[in-house]
Amino acid sequence: MSVTKDITTLKGTVLEIQRMSTEDGPGIRTTVFMKGCPLSCTWCHNPESISPRPQVHWIGSRCIMCKMCIDVCPENALYLDAGGIEVNRELCTGCGRCADECPSTALELLGRKWTVHELVAELVKDRAFFEKSGGGITVSGGEPTLQKEFVTELLKTLRGQGIHTAIDTCGVCGKDALDRILPHANLVLFDVKLIDAELHRGFTGSSNERILENLWHVARLVKEHLYPRELWVRTPVIPGATDTDENIRGIGEFLAGLPAGVITRWELCAFNNLCVDKYTRLGRQWDFADAALMYEERMEYLAEIARSTGVDPAIVLWTGSTRYEGNNDDTGEKKKSIKNNPTSCQGGIT
Amino acid sequence: MESSAKKAQEFIKQPKGLSDRVQWLREYYFDGNERAWNNENTSWTTGTPWDEQYDELTFYIVPETYALLKTLHSSYRMAARPVALREDFWKLSIPERRAWFNREVMVHYLPHEILPGDLIAGGRFNIQTSMCLTKKEQEKRNRMITGKKGSRARMKWFHDHGYGNAGATSGHLVPGHERALSLGWKGIHEELEEMYDDLTSSEKKGPKGAQLRAMMTAATMPGQVAKKYAEACRDQAVKVTDSMRREELLQMAKNLERVPWEPPKTFWEALQALWLNHMLIMADENYPGPGVSFGRIDQYLYPYWKYSIDTGMDREFGKEIMKCFWVHANTAYDSMIRTGNQGITAGFGQLLTISGRGKDGEDLSNDLTYAILEVIDEMSPILEPKPNVRLHQNTPDELLDRVVAMIESSQGAPFLLNFDERSMAGMMKEARMARFEHLINDDTVWDYAPVGCLENTMVGNDRSGTVDNNLNLLKAVELVLTGGRDMHPFTDPITGKTEKPTQDGPRTGDPRTFATWDEFWDAYVTQTRYIIKKIVDLYESSERIRACFNPTPYLSCMVKGCAESGRDITQGAAEISFTTLEAVTYATTVDSLLAVKYLVFDQEECTMDELIQALRDNWEGHQVLQARAKNRAPKYGRDDDGADEMARKVMELWTGETWKHRTLSTGRQFRPGMLSWNYWAGDGFIMAASPDGREKGQFLSNAICPSNGADINGPTANTNSVGKVLGGRARDNQGDWDGYNNMLPNGASHTITFNPSILKDPEHREKFKAFLRGYVENGGTALQINMLDPDMLRDAQKHPQDYRHLLVRVTGYNAYFTSIGKELQDEVIARVSHSRF
Repeated sequence: MSVTKDITTLKGTVLEIQRMSTEDGPGIRTTVFMKGCPLSCTWCHNPESISPRPQVHWIGSRCIMCKMCIDVCPENALYLDAGGIEVNRELCTGCGRCADECPSTALELLGRKWTVHELVAELVKDRAFFEKSGGGITVSGGEPTLQKEFVTELLKTLRGQGIHTAIDTCGVCGKDALDRILPHANLVLFDVKLIDAELHRGFTGSSNERILENLWHVARLVKEHLYPRELWVRTPVIPGATDTDENIRGIGEFLAGLPAGVITRWELCAFNNLCVDKYTRLGRQWDFADAALMYEERMEYLAEIARSTGVDPAIVLWTGSTRYEGNNDDTGEKKKSIKNNPTSCQGGIT
Repeated sequence: MESSAKKAQEFIKQPKGLSDRVQWLREYYFDGNERAWNNENTSWTTGTPWDEQYDELTFYIVPETYALLKTLHSSYRMAARPVALREDFWKLSIPERRAWFNREVMVHYLPHEILPGDLIAGGRFNIQTSMCLTKKEQEKRNRMITGKKGSRARMKWFHDHGYGNAGATSGHLVPGHERALSLGWKGIHEELEEMYDDLTSSEKKGPKGAQLRAMMTAATMPGQVAKKYAEACRDQAVKVTDSMRREELLQMAKNLERVPWEPPKTFWEALQALWLNHMLIMADENYPGPGVSFGRIDQYLYPYWKYSIDTGMDREFGKEIMKCFWVHANTAYDSMIRTGNQGITAGFGQLLTISGRGKDGEDLSNDLTYAILEVIDEMSPILEPKPNVRLHQNTPDELLDRVVAMIESSQGAPFLLNFDERSMAGMMKEARMARFEHLINDDTVWDYAPVGCLENTMVGNDRSGTVDNNLNLLKAVELVLTGGRDMHPFTDPITGKTEKPTQDGPRTGDPRTFATWDEFWDAYVTQTRYIIKKIVDLYESSERIRACFNPTPYLSCMVKGCAESGRDITQGAAEISFTTLEAVTYATTVDSLLAVKYLVFDQEECTMDELIQALRDNWEGHQVLQARAKNRAPKYGRDDDGADEMARKVMELWTGETWKHRTLSTGRQFRPGMLSWNYWAGDGFIMAASPDGREKGQFLSNAICPSNGADINGPTANTNSVGKVLGGRARDNQGDWDGYNNMLPNGASHTITFNPSILKDPEHREKFKAFLRGYVENGGTALQINMLDPDMLRDAQKHPQDYRHLLVRVTGYNAYFTSIGKELQDEVIARVSHSRF
């Protein structure tokens, strides 16, 4: 990749653009999900974002069983079985011809190429809402730093138009990528999943050493430079993986050691299971398919632990859906022991 | 069952903080049919054998009544009780007869009753009174209706063939309440006398003199009715044992002995006067409420509120009076009390408006604004009066906080939101188009108010026929595809006879020979011109009858322009007198054009012949093409500039054509708007399959909303599309008003349903407030916010008995979810889920 590559031909692979996003930074935002991620977390909520290549998936509820996709595939990678249209992932090259042909959009190509200008034109459409809400654009993924050149140009152009920018990173990248991208970001959303290096390797496929180093690096950038302005840390709370007292305490103690005042928010994001269909569509098993949502009490309890670790307690909050009483038959079995708050469960928003 | 009932309890907003008095009145109202007292229609006759009461013209826009017209005519005629006529009755002009007859019924024939605990008098007003016509007049009117080319046959043909409907309809205006309060009827009567005295003697003998005399008679009605109620209060005061109630009744009697003849001083007097003045409009028009709107009550009632608060009225007591007023407004539905569930199809709309900007952009909210919001919150769910909150660039956070809190607790907004800047741009546009700049300009436009659901008008001098003409734009697409004939022959469901399709529209040629999209578009332009001319002609057939035979002299007293010109409001005498063409099926039409262009011309997925055959077959056997039409062709409502450009072209075309027309009999200019009431559901069964993939029998699109399921990019994209097709924002503030353009002066109904999680915590509530502020910039004129949960709705489908009070808001009108049909329930659920087609 060359730094001087022409911005008009530079292309990024985008998984999805989500308008009126209210969960990825301040205000009303449009979130761009870039394709490709160096981690492979077992709980991943966006499994279609992991591969950097375009992929097709099949949404059964839309399919009218015309089978035109099967005829049009040059690799003969599609076939019909009892469960519907199947994609042979070995053969599929992600050329997208089936998706182009599909009359009902049951087959979708995940990962479209955009130039910076095309993408910016699409992203600024909600400017009025950004301005009224203090919102803007969040570039998420996948891992956006994998497409550092494109993302740098994208953020630079958006900042040039006075739009608030945020980047959501898993922290697995070179320092050079951070140094190039972050001067154009108002806010960094930084994921810290597990503090124990071995557990991290076990659940995500790589160690957290570089992630924690990069977190230090970002913290210094925030402290010493005009941009980025702010750093938010996010920890996914995954049942049986990241939801232990020790993990939350360990992350908190690490964060407490960073330069004071740099982190303005630490969000514990409760596991959600809405992505279960995504795995099916991609022809994959998901270890968490049967995992239940977190209990509200448990999230409160973990947030309390987080607040007791030495970080400014005011920056800790938890988000996401929790279990609604009575919507699971297996209550109790997956229920975590609740130490501080033995009262019965309240209905959360599901 | 029990868990379902519990669920209903949890989810559904309950009234709160009501006093025993209001609680009782509210519950009594909901007893409906079981009540000993009600406000059911009573019918009154001159006693002549040819007499008629029921005015079918005013129901031409309600297709559900077509099958009942003859029954209603005869049942009101048979039930009518005679009124003893004054000796010279038949020597009087029609408006004088009518003014006298209605006053006679209201003052001397209807009982005057006060419900237990009620603080507002004015109970029975649903009446069907004699048209007061001579035999010759009545016969002429009947001929104009039932003759071969009469209004009834024409109206029915128009509807049966999928064009829509039109009729000269009552209600639907904001009368001059502020003026009637500040002058009192005494003052209005004096003015009328002066004007009458100023007439020449030949004018006095002519129609002007007759009209003014009729209005003078009508102007004495409120005072006389009030006196009767004062007597009723005094009678009851003697009987009650509770001394506090006695004091109340005596105070009510005192109020009624002064107002509305004299101008009110206190808040109680003002509300009492307002109620009588309002209820007598419904009596005068024989029309129970739809669109008889109050305007900006927090503004014109504020001086009385302040006076009473300053002189010691307890604020809660002020709210208590309002709550009684609320219950009264709901009794309008008693006109249909025997159709069950309080006759609630919720098409009524005694709309009141609160908040909004002043001349210099300042927010005009005051303590009464907030008190009214509290009343709405504490009384809801309840259907009437329908509140509309005006938002604008300078709406204070305090008001938005209140609005958002109420949306959160009521499963959606218990009011419609109206957006000032975009609305004012539309009003300025109509001023320019119709040369009303002397009446609507920078100094006045901020004082506009919506009527009915969301239809913007000026106040006290404006009747703009806001629901009178409802046109299915999609018909023009069908006519292009057939070269000007119906796609399917019409079969009369009653006689079973099938008509042979005839060449109704212009011959725009065989579309299979069109080589380019432009040829198709040109044919569409021609057919659109034709259907607009067609509805204009249809409207004339009822408008001219009303103008000749159905004056409303009492209402005319409350609308500027009538006395001044000596003509009745039904003759187009309001200073601002438009009639509005409401386009129905907008998104379906746009999406159909987009689909034709995409499938036949751009992508060449099929030939025109194949497309037409698919539509004739109602898509049966053309599954792949239908799927392409639904899923691959571009759609309006996604903030896709290409698709929205087509939408804007369609908007420019039909609104441009609309401005070219005027009624012949009354000189009213047509203006454009978009309200679809429930036609988008019902007419879906009449209209042929459409190129956007919709089958015959599926719903059409609603008002300015994208087609069901098309808004896949969420609320901001949906909002942007709506703002764009209205005209968007102008550079350099050179818009219709400031930087805003708006091609629809009437405004447009827009509904967005949100997932309740958008309001889950203070941070998200701030985001939602910001969305509303963004809507001010980018969106339309009015927004209904729904906040629903599909699971709850499915539960309500299964256990309707537990969800009797669950209100859903579909077009800016409210309906009890359990009282609407399964299809519409499914539609609401589909919208909630934001699922695809």
